Amino acid sequence: MGAWSFYITTLLVYFVVDALSAFSLNLQFGYAGVVNFGFIVFQAAGAYVAAVVTLGPSGPASFQQYILGSHLPFPLDLLAATLAGALLSFVVGLFALRRMRRDYQAAVLLIVSLIALQVVSADVPLFNGSNGLTGVTWPFGQLFGATATGSPYLYLGYAAVIGVLVCLGVIWLSRSPWGRSLRAMRDHEDAASAMGLNITSLRLQVFVLGGAIAGLSGGLLVEYIGAWSPGAWGYAETFVIFTAIFVGGVGNYRGVLVGTLLVPIIFLEIPRFLPAIGYPGLTDSLEWVVVGLAWMLCLLFRPRGIIPERRLKAARPASPLETAPAEGSA
Amino acid sequence: MLAQLLSSAADGIVVAAILAVAAMGFTLQFSLTNVLNLSFGAVMTIGGFTAYLVNVAGLSPWLGLALGTLAGALATVLLGRGVLRLYARRRTQLFEMMMVTLGMSLVIDYGIQAISQNAIYGYTVLQAQPIRMGPIAVTPIQVGIIGIALVLLVAVEAALHLTKLGKALRATAVEPSLARSCGIKTSRVVLVTWLVSGGLCGLAGVVYIISTQSVDYTTGELFLPLVIAAAILGGVGSLRGAVVASLVMGLVTEIVAGFGGAAYSTVAGFAILVVVLLLHPGAVFGGAEDRQLVL
Amino acid sequence: MGGSMALGAADPLVAPIPGAPVLEARDVAVGYGGVRAVDGVSLAIRPGEVVGIIGPNGAGKSSFLGALGGQVKRSRGQILLGSRDVSQLPPHDRARLGLVRTFQTTSEFARMTVFENLVTAAEGDSGASLKAVILHPGRTHLREQELAQRAFGIMERFEMTHTADLYGRELSGGQRRLVEIMRCLVRHPRVLLLDEPMVGVAPHLTGKLIDDLRAIAAEGLGILVVEHALEVVRRLCDRVVVMAFGKVIAAGEFEEVVADPQVQAAYLS
Repeated sequence: MGAWSFYITTLLVYFVVDALSAFSLNLQFGYAGVVNFGFIVFQAAGAYVAAVVTLGPSGPASFQQYILGSHLPFPLDLLAATLAGALLSFVVGLFALRRMRRDYQAAVLLIVSLIALQVVSADVPLFNGSNGLTGVTWPFGQLFGATATGSPYLYLGYAAVIGVLVCLGVIWLSRSPWGRSLRAMRDHEDAASAMGLNITSLRLQVFVLGGAIAGLSGGLLVEYIGAWSPGAWGYAETFVIFTAIFVGGVGNYRGVLVGTLLVPIIFLEIPRFLPAIGYPGLTDSLEWVVVGLAWMLCLLFRPRGIIPERRLKAARPASPLETAPAEGSA
Repeated sequence: MLAQLLSSAADGIVVAAILAVAAMGFTLQFSLTNVLNLSFGAVMTIGGFTAYLVNVAGLSPWLGLALGTLAGALATVLLGRGVLRLYARRRTQLFEMMMVTLGMSLVIDYGIQAISQNAIYGYTVLQAQPIRMGPIAVTPIQVGIIGIALVLLVAVEAALHLTKLGKALRATAVEPSLARSCGIKTSRVVLVTWLVSGGLCGLAGVVYIISTQSVDYTTGELFLPLVIAAAILGGVGSLRGAVVASLVMGLVTEIVAGFGGAAYSTVAGFAILVVVLLLHPGAVFGGAEDRQLVL
Repeated sequence: MGGSMALGAADPLVAPIPGAPVLEARDVAVGYGGVRAVDGVSLAIRPGEVVGIIGPNGAGKSSFLGALGGQVKRSRGQILLGSRDVSQLPPHDRARLGLVRTFQTTSEFARMTVFENLVTAAEGDSGASLKAVILHPGRTHLREQELAQRAFGIMERFEMTHTADLYGRELSGGQRRLVEIMRCLVRHPRVLLLDEPMVGVAPHLTGKLIDDLRAIAAEGLGILVVEHALEVVRRLCDRVVVMAFGKVIAAGEFEEVVADPQVQAAYLS
């Protein structure tokens, strides 16, 4: 296969992973008002776990050290990644989601992100420290004797099926009565709890569900690129996803998809086609500066994004005072 | 065992002194403006790099200390007056302000990464033979850092309680609208606060890199968790609280590091905040949901 | 509209319980770091009764309401809902037991339609749980239809059907108050706590709202209302409690309470 089609396929795999992240973050931020500044940590947890459970046991002969080394077959690898994201977010949620000022909460989650990076970089036996893990394979592909990068179309199809299913699930949940309760909590926490909603539990639910999806996305990503290290999940990565949501439209999944295409895919890939400037890595740094500026501009002009949140019209019952089931629409 | 404990405790007091300088600055600006300023770490890095450049130019490290402080003060005033005011004029809420400061942090951090070519620079100035007292070994500069922290605590406390401007600052922090109606020019008070807290931030950046002997674009960001934790643990607005909390955090992080948990030292420091938070949710995070923005 | 408030048996607006007080506060106190905002307040509300709390600014009225609803931490005392002690329960559990409230500054869900405001409130218990949504989609769907009907029924009674698809933030001040009250009523409450429900309501509409509230109470609901406008209190409330400096200084019928020299002194000071 040509270099171009390989490149495009790779971008599409990234798109699936980023869309999963953005959907998950939008559920937390756009619907529930939970500002998860540590989002990337849960993706990283999924990626690390998916990596170690497929790499096989870490022995003295192995050139990298890590915990939990094993050869889990498909689909247990992704399941483990999902569980890792969920479990970690549950633990973090227990203290970070307590009732406190929203800015404190966001700061605590950012701090979790900064500290987690320090710990994983410094504690080498955990996940091979700052060098990270390499040589990750794709257990599903082994059924067909294929590696992820060796058969990118197959991997893209596989990732796309999972991505579409999960994203549809997120949309369905958002429109359910549960999703509506999340929006009530976002709009007025005191009133929501005065109407019988258990805020603590709702917030933890959405945090863990989002963490699970983040873990899954990390698993999908690492099995494709084959390596994972602290360089891949700096605190700034979370804000690429946030910026994508702001640009596309907070609370609207079509907008979020557009934003995902624009920010992490198109914007971050364009520089590859520009003539190289300065020393290697300069464009990467400058990209982050631009992400920060875009983030600040979004806040300054407070856009509702390209596609704003959709108004859901009520289906009026034919006759409100009768007991017949409600039908018809406005 | 005891020797290790003593030597770690000595290191802890040095870290506490650095932390205290930063936490005093953080708590001062947070209590007045109510903006949780996440760009504080980035400004520390600016202070550190300024001192590094002064050193490269072959000038005195003491000048580096002074210019690093100045750079922190100027950068903070620029961000507070230039950027945050712009948002305040558009009625940005307190919470969104915090997000803005995060954007500033991204821009500064990665701007420095771009300029510094993503490299780590050594900064070995003012190093001398350590003074040994049994298991404890401290360098003269470390004693100096502790001295600086103590002098600053006394000086800022005195300024807050004895000068007219300090009293105005405390009044504004408690009740800005009342302060305004009493004829206090809150805008001037805020400017001075940006200057002083920014200076403390820049200075903390310099003493931090003197202590770690290197600087790169993540320097401040890695220190930020402890600064925020110390400021909040000490009670927002309380300088003495910030210093005591810094002492606790410094001791805990260094003792954990000294006994083999170097990777988890920051976690241990942050864990104190979490434990206090779990035991006394009200004590640390109580109320103040609808404090107003003061810029 | 007062007369037309009578309801079909199929859809009682409130769940009446006869006899004893439906809400009782015993020696409730609230302290904010040394300051006693509420200092030993006791009162009881029977079903069908509208009780007003009046008093000068800073008397502790809103803090007392917060202690009843669970938003404000009480430092002492007991709160009984029917015969059940709810003092230790979080706000959502109190709401599920039938104790609901409105807030001093309107608390509509701003980025949700009026219809969604109502349905979400009605559902504020098991119906909206993640488990129910995932495991019992059929049951959830049926319940949604039932709730839609209940919501439209209530909107009709308050002549708010035309606002069903408007966002909370698009409403007028008076409409927001109505949304808050409707939202409480879809929950079939036993007790309704209202914090200054007339603020922002256009003067020519207060009369109608008073009639509506009296009609709702007449069906067996206990209402406790904090209100500044004495004229509203006179027309709305069966009994009045006067608070000053965190304590009850007088209680009784409106006319006798306002004639009390101690009350007049508290208002003048």
